Amino acid sequence: MRSIAFALCLLPGIVPAMDRATADSLVARATAAYTQGDHAGALALFDSVYQHWRSAGLAYAIGNCHFKLDQVPEAIVSYERALLLEPGAEDVKANLELARQRTMDRVNELPTFRLGGSWDRWLGGRDVDQWARRGLWGWSLAFVIAALALLSRGTLRTVGLSIAGTCILFALLSVGLAARRLRAVEHPAAGIVMQPRVDVRSEPREGATTLFLLHSGTKVSLGAERSGWVEVTLANGNVGWMPAAALQVI
Amino acid sequence: MMRRTLLLLLAGLTWPLLAAAQEITFDARVDRTSFEGGASIRLTITLANAQGSFSNPDLGGLTVVQGPFESSSFNYVNGRMSSTVSRTYVITATRPGTYTIGPASARVGGGTLQTQPITVKVEKGSGATSDRLLNEGQQRDRDLFVTISLSKSKVHVGEQVVATYTLFSRYPNLELSKYDLPALNGFWAEEIDRGETTWEDQLRTVNGLQYRVAVLKKQLLFPQRAGTLRIEPLRITCVVNRSFFNRGSQVEAMSNATELQVLPLPPNAPPGMQGAVGSFSFSGALDRDQLRADEALELTLTVNGSGNLKLIEAPALDLPPDVERYDPKVNDRISISGNGMSGSRSFTYLLIPRHAGELVLGPFALSFFDVQAGAYRTVQAGPFTVQVTPGSGSGQAQLSRPSKADVEVLDTDIRFLRTGDLDLRPAGHHLLGSWAWWSGMAAPVLAFAVFLVWRRREDQRAADPAGRRRREADKVARRRFKDAHDALKRDAREPFYTAMNKALHGYLGDRFGLGAAELNAAALERALGERPDAAALARQATDLIAACDMARYAPLEVKPRQAMYEEAITLVQRLERP
Repeated sequence: MRSIAFALCLLPGIVPAMDRATADSLVARATAAYTQGDHAGALALFDSVYQHWRSAGLAYAIGNCHFKLDQVPEAIVSYERALLLEPGAEDVKANLELARQRTMDRVNELPTFRLGGSWDRWLGGRDVDQWARRGLWGWSLAFVIAALALLSRGTLRTVGLSIAGTCILFALLSVGLAARRLRAVEHPAAGIVMQPRVDVRSEPREGATTLFLLHSGTKVSLGAERSGWVEVTLANGNVGWMPAAALQVI
Repeated sequence: MMRRTLLLLLAGLTWPLLAAAQEITFDARVDRTSFEGGASIRLTITLANAQGSFSNPDLGGLTVVQGPFESSSFNYVNGRMSSTVSRTYVITATRPGTYTIGPASARVGGGTLQTQPITVKVEKGSGATSDRLLNEGQQRDRDLFVTISLSKSKVHVGEQVVATYTLFSRYPNLELSKYDLPALNGFWAEEIDRGETTWEDQLRTVNGLQYRVAVLKKQLLFPQRAGTLRIEPLRITCVVNRSFFNRGSQVEAMSNATELQVLPLPPNAPPGMQGAVGSFSFSGALDRDQLRADEALELTLTVNGSGNLKLIEAPALDLPPDVERYDPKVNDRISISGNGMSGSRSFTYLLIPRHAGELVLGPFALSFFDVQAGAYRTVQAGPFTVQVTPGSGSGQAQLSRPSKADVEVLDTDIRFLRTGDLDLRPAGHHLLGSWAWWSGMAAPVLAFAVFLVWRRREDQRAADPAGRRRREADKVARRRFKDAHDALKRDAREPFYTAMNKALHGYLGDRFGLGAAELNAAALERALGERPDAAALARQATDLIAACDMARYAPLEVKPRQAMYEEAITLVQRLERP
């Protein structure tokens, strides 16, 4: 079914610049280089694939290469990307934790209501298109069931119509989730500080009061943007402005 | 030592009196063939049992410090006569290298005797005092001075240097009352044991003045940090000219200060480098290669060579975690001499394998900086294989020890790459919002709309019973007369009437349950029952059948075939309609 969906994606003439076989062979070469300890070589190969192809496993591999090359902020960016593509992935979370231990800032997160990793997995999963596909199925099923119900009589008809209604609701919910997921992947609202030391200021201009200092590898939520400055929010709720150049959007 | 003996028959002829004359020998010898620069050796040339003069040899660059001293002896014992003439030189060299002392020649009788050339080697002295130091010392005090000389002026961190403290004195009588050794900052020092301080045999001439020389002290220095390390002057206090009549006078002397250039070790140190500098070999041994679990095993790792042996720490053992180990016992066999520190240091580890199986220990590595090569080197010992058989199992220890242990986390590292399919997707393309997705969403809606339209039409038809019956009767009639219709189209006469006959008989028979024999107007009318037009219909049907039969068996057609067909259809439709 996946391959069908994949083929459907390709149908309207969207052909990636790098074909799948090339991408697979590059990934195999990069994995071999990584295994032999040539992390810089592996990184170059993985990056070339990432230009045209996306997957949580690929972003995770790039993060690992950066980590091995002691480029901790870049590694964190890649791990966060992998987590966006596959929320709740155990291996990514473990490595991200190790990478975070090497950063300087410790930000206490505000207590928020969070469900566990299995909920994340259920909501996200490895496949970004999962909810769009579920929506499609629910939608189609709803109309098939409705048609069947209209053909029958009595209780069967009532039951059938209510099932169809449920399917419609499920489909709409799925589309909503798919849209939310897509927005999170395509327009991530978080960034990683890349510069060793950044002043976070109260206003978007040089020389404004420095509210706090951030060091490379710290994750911030992104807000409004204004002439090269971006409003950032820390996990502990602190807000300030910093130059957009000091950040890498996930 | 080279010696050459010549027997001259001529000698015997010249002195017939000496019936028991000794052999004539002429040789040259030195007391040492290798010495440090600045030291001196004795060269002795001896002519035995002959009269004659001999020439001085070519010293090949060595300089004569004293001499030559000539001596001769003559013995007459039990009628045997022997005589020797010898000449002694005290010679020295300041620059290291290899020197050849050429042959000396002697004319004896009518012949010439030659000594063998001698090769001597002058080494770079560890304690040789350079002329510059001597000149400086002499300028400080003409009668008494001390020098500190180093065997090398430029070394790496950890490389050994010999420091020699030498006293030069012109006082005939001197007592050393005290000396303060300079503080050695940045060095790790090791004394070289030279026994009692004594005056050297030879006097040393500096710019025409002769001095008595005594080496006060020799030290082995290991610089601990890079940079220019300075050794402060040595200060001594002596009492001179003390005699029975004189209490003597106190004289102070200072040495020079000296500096040592210490180069840092190169940056690309191998991982196991712990600061060993020198030239080492590394070996290991096990006291046995087979034992039971929980028995003890001794592993001895030995570092052999010269360098800062005493600073070598026990190499870290990379052992399987289920092997219990104890701190190593260090055993030194190190000698410290003017040539530096050399010998061996061995580490004995007590190991207790806890589980049975083949146990591979090592290989163990020792990394050091090789001074000669100017690069790091890593030497390996092992690996060693030990067969561990299961423990006796009867001992208390076996019972008290838990059979399971927690898995020990030794280190943390990131997890490895994903090994399976990476599940790649084209970048920037998603199902949601795509062409395919919109079509997929629209298709069921359109299909449902089509379904609704169809259903509506069905409902409308169901709401008109008369029309429906008409349509159904029509359908039945057309089905029955299909063959006849075909034949009509083909314009085939005979098959048309056969089909018509067959269809009418079949229809009426099936419809009213009448056999072919019973098919007549009366029976049909009965079968049609209550209908007002029953009689007319029955007659029409039988007429039609009769007309068909007639046309079938006789070439007589009552009506055109098309009209006949239409009539039959109409008849069936009317019969079908209630």
